[in-house]
Formats: sequence, C-alpha cells, structure tokens
Amino acid sequence: MSENSTRRQFIEGSCRVLGFVTIGGAAGLLTQRASANAVYQVDPFKCTSCDLCRTSCVLSHSAVKAVNDFEKCGYCMLCPAYMDVMSKPDEHGIPTGKICPQDALKRRVVGKVDAEDPNNNYYEYVVDEARCDGCGKCVKACMAPAGNASLRLEIRYSRCVECNECAIQIVCPDRAIVRVAAPGMAPAAPVR
Amino acid sequence: MEPNDRDTTPLGVRDRLWKAWLPGVAAVGALAALVAGSLRLRPTPLAAPPKPQPASTPGPGGQAAAPAQPVRSLERTYSQSAGLGGAASPDRFLRSLTGIAVGIDDHIYLLGDDEIRVFDPRGNRLRSWQAPAHAGCLAAGPDGRVYVGSPDRVDIYDAGGAHLTGFTAGEKDKPADVTAIAVVGTDILVADASARIIRRYGSDGTLRGLIGNQNKTGGFILPNRSLDVGVDARGVVYATDTGRHQVTAWALDGSPLGRFGKFGMSAPEDFVGCCNPVNVALTPDGKVVTGEKMVARVKVYDPDGTLLAVIGPEHFDPSTTHIHLAVDSRGRILAADPVRREVKIFSLNQTPQERERP
Repeated sequence: MSENSTRRQFIEGSCRVLGFVTIGGAAGLLTQRASANAVYQVDPFKCTSCDLCRTSCVLSHSAVKAVNDFEKCGYCMLCPAYMDVMSKPDEHGIPTGKICPQDALKRRVVGKVDAEDPNNNYYEYVVDEARCDGCGKCVKACMAPAGNASLRLEIRYSRCVECNECAIQIVCPDRAIVRVAAPGMAPAAPVR
Repeated sequence: MEPNDRDTTPLGVRDRLWKAWLPGVAAVGALAALVAGSLRLRPTPLAAPPKPQPASTPGPGGQAAAPAQPVRSLERTYSQSAGLGGAASPDRFLRSLTGIAVGIDDHIYLLGDDEIRVFDPRGNRLRSWQAPAHAGCLAAGPDGRVYVGSPDRVDIYDAGGAHLTGFTAGEKDKPADVTAIAVVGTDILVADASARIIRRYGSDGTLRGLIGNQNKTGGFILPNRSLDVGVDARGVVYATDTGRHQVTAWALDGSPLGRFGKFGMSAPEDFVGCCNPVNVALTPDGKVVTGEKMVARVKVYDPDGTLLAVIGPEHFDPSTTHIHLAVDSRGRILAADPVRREVKIFSLNQTPQERERP
C-alpha cells in the first residue's frame, strides 16, 4: 500500500518539476530572444556583387548600400571603383567615365593638395547612401587584384524592415545574406 | 470496500486535474509559446514590383581583360625555359611564396612556407633554413649574404643559412613596413611602405640616408601599400611609384635621376589599374623589368621607358597582386607568382640576326 502511494507521489512530483523546468526554460529562451535581436546582413566574404541586392529588396530603394572601409582604402587617384578605367581618357590621360550609374561614390582630396598634378594627391571616397542603390558595381571594381577590396555591400539597419523572410536572401546565389546577432538593434518601422 | 493507503488522501476530480495534469498542460503551452515566438510575427511589407534587370555592363572589376595589343613588333621576346616549385614539383610551396632573389653563382633564393630555400641555376635544391617570423621579402648580396625582411626588421644570414646579425628598420615611434630589400656594395636598401621611402642602412643597421623623399610629396604614392626596389650594375636605384604609375630612378645619395611610365589601359607600354607597376628588377645589361597586377604581366623596358618585351598574362594567375622578380647573370627573368606559388623562368629568345651569326 505504502509503495503505491509513494509511486503516485513520485509521478506527481516529477510532473510538477518537469512542468516548472519547461516553463522556466521557455521563459528564459523567450527572454533571450527578446533581448538579443538578430538581423540580416551581407557576408562580404561570400558576396560577389551580383546586383540582385538592388533588384530583389522589397524596398523601392534597396536597403543594401555600399560602404568604404577607410582602413583598407588606398585613396587612389585612379580609383577603379570610381572611374571606369576602360572609358575614353581625357587630354591628361584620365578616364572620363564613372563606374557608379547613380554617381553615388563621391571623392575629395585629403591632405596636402597639389593643384597642378592630381597624381600627387590622395583622395577620400565616400558613398552617398541617398543615391546608392546597392548595385555593387563599385564593390566589384574594387576587388583584388584591381583594388584593395575596401568597398563592400552592407544592409543598413536604418532602412531594413526585417521581413520575416528576406527577399534578397531567397534569391542570393552566393548565400551571402546571413542572420547575425545584433543585441539591442531595433529594426526600422514597417513600411506602410 | 476497504480503504487502502491510496485512498487515505482522497483526491477529488478537480484536485486530480489541478495537481496531476496542470504541469503537463503548462509544458505543452510553453512549447507552443516557444514556437510562436520563433515565428517573429511581423508584418511583411508588400513586395515592390519587380525592377527591370539591367543589361550587364562590362567593367574593370575583378579580372580585367588584357588591353588590346597593337600590332607592332617588340625588340625582345622571352620564352619560358624552366620552372620551380610548381604543383608537380617535390619542392612545391604549400602555403606561401613571398620572395625571390638571385645571388652569386646564380643561386636562386626563395622565401616561402616560413623557410628560405636555395636552388642551383638548374633548379636543384641545395639547402634550406628557417625564416624569421612573418618574413616577407629577401635579397642576396654580392658578398654571398642573404638579407631577409620582416615587417620592421632585417635579418642577415651567410650563404649557408647561419644568422649573422640583424637590425630594426624604421623609427622608434614609427616602425617600418619592409616590403623589399636590395643590396649595393655595403649599403642595404630597405623599402619602407609605411613611411613611403627607401632607407639606406649599413650592415650594422646605421642609417646612411633616405631615397625617395626628394620629390613634391616627400615620398612615393603607394595606394597598394607596397614598394619594391632594385639596383642596376651601375648602382642606380630603381623603385616602383605605383600611385603615379611610374618607375623612378635615384642615385644612392637620394637625388632623383629620372622616371618613366604613365597610366593607360590600351597601350602596352602603359601601366594599368589603380597602382602599377608593383615589382621591379634589373637585368645585367641595365634593362628594367616590371611586374604588374590586374593584368598580370611582366614587361621589359629600356631605362628611358621604351618598351622592349611583354611576358603576357597567360603565364600568371589573374588574381595575383604581385609578381616577385629577379634576374640572373644570363639575363633570365625569374618571376614568382605568389598565388600559384611557383616560379617561372623566362629566357631571352635570339633574334633572327643573332641566330644567323656564326
């Protein structure tokens, strides 16, 4: 008799403990998910700048933008990401065409300026994000061996609306759109 | 019916449900909440209408096509006559190949896989020894010594590989970034890509002078952060000025002697891309050999800038950013491709007139 009673109490107790553990674990997991947000981002080591970021984002102006890593940038006078080096040269031998169809890559002379010979100057290149549509032409042109690979594509959180399923991730042939943890990173408000 | 022990604490239906089933129900509910939480219920914006796909536009990015070669004959032609360290070779480099030099008796010195390997002119391996950590370039002096450059240091070995001495390059608060070494007499020329100049040292590490700072910018323009240096038989120092697309010539005292080259994507004598030429070497008869990236090729010039020969991109990996160069006493050009980790040796072809001579 006492054995039966002990077994029943044991089962009931076990169920209670299991229930509390499950509830506690679920609450912990949910709390963790709520505090550590994950966002979509471009893996620069996989990205091949195929232009699908521009055409596949659900936003009319893609949330993907080119960014320049100044640590890696060579500040070239003849930047292959800025100038279309295959275009017709001017009278000084400088190519006249530009790579960016939106004219979103801007440059300015930094340091000591030599107005007579542009070859003596260093140039800082900055992406105008209002113009950049994420086509990646500059990124492709800056890849080694032509350039220092200082340009890369990046999803800008200020524009990304964090779709349940990223439209670019679906079509990306290089699987370069990945989920990365971004604690405290709030996505932009959904587009109405 | 006698009450048993189980019935000594009778549970009503409500109690049974409350005590026995609640934990199970709670567990199922928690799992459901977990699944719901993972769905991240957020509004999906309406998909924008598909945008028209643009026609692909040819650009210079990645692998550029070789510039169209105008139909004209060059004075010299080279053919590959031998190779070293390729994939099929027992002396192949598995991880890296970052430097090449030719020393006395045309012995070939290669830096790669954290060691220095010495070969005879036929390609037979003679010896090897451990290189200093992070070594990136080397030179062979006329005295048989081997000079190995690490980021901020030069180490000197005898021909057998015994470490003789070494010194730190650069300044105390601004260490050098040694990307090339050349030796002329007792002077050691150290290319410092960090300061964008060439430092001239004695073998004890005493700074004797600077080369490359006597110009408008006080140094070379190096977007690719690499500076190469070579010395001809007369002691004229040649250095790459990649941002200006030029080869520059200097006296040992640092005074400029001349320069040639310009940017261009079509004429073969021009230098392509953002920053070329990336490597330089000198032949025994004073010709200037250059290595280029973007369109990976080797060219030979007269010191006045007249193009004499082109060794085309079919010989090198298109993604290479350097072609390390050396020339032996017979004028053979040794080109080390760090991507394929192999050395190709090119010999000068005889002209028809030379072949007809007895």
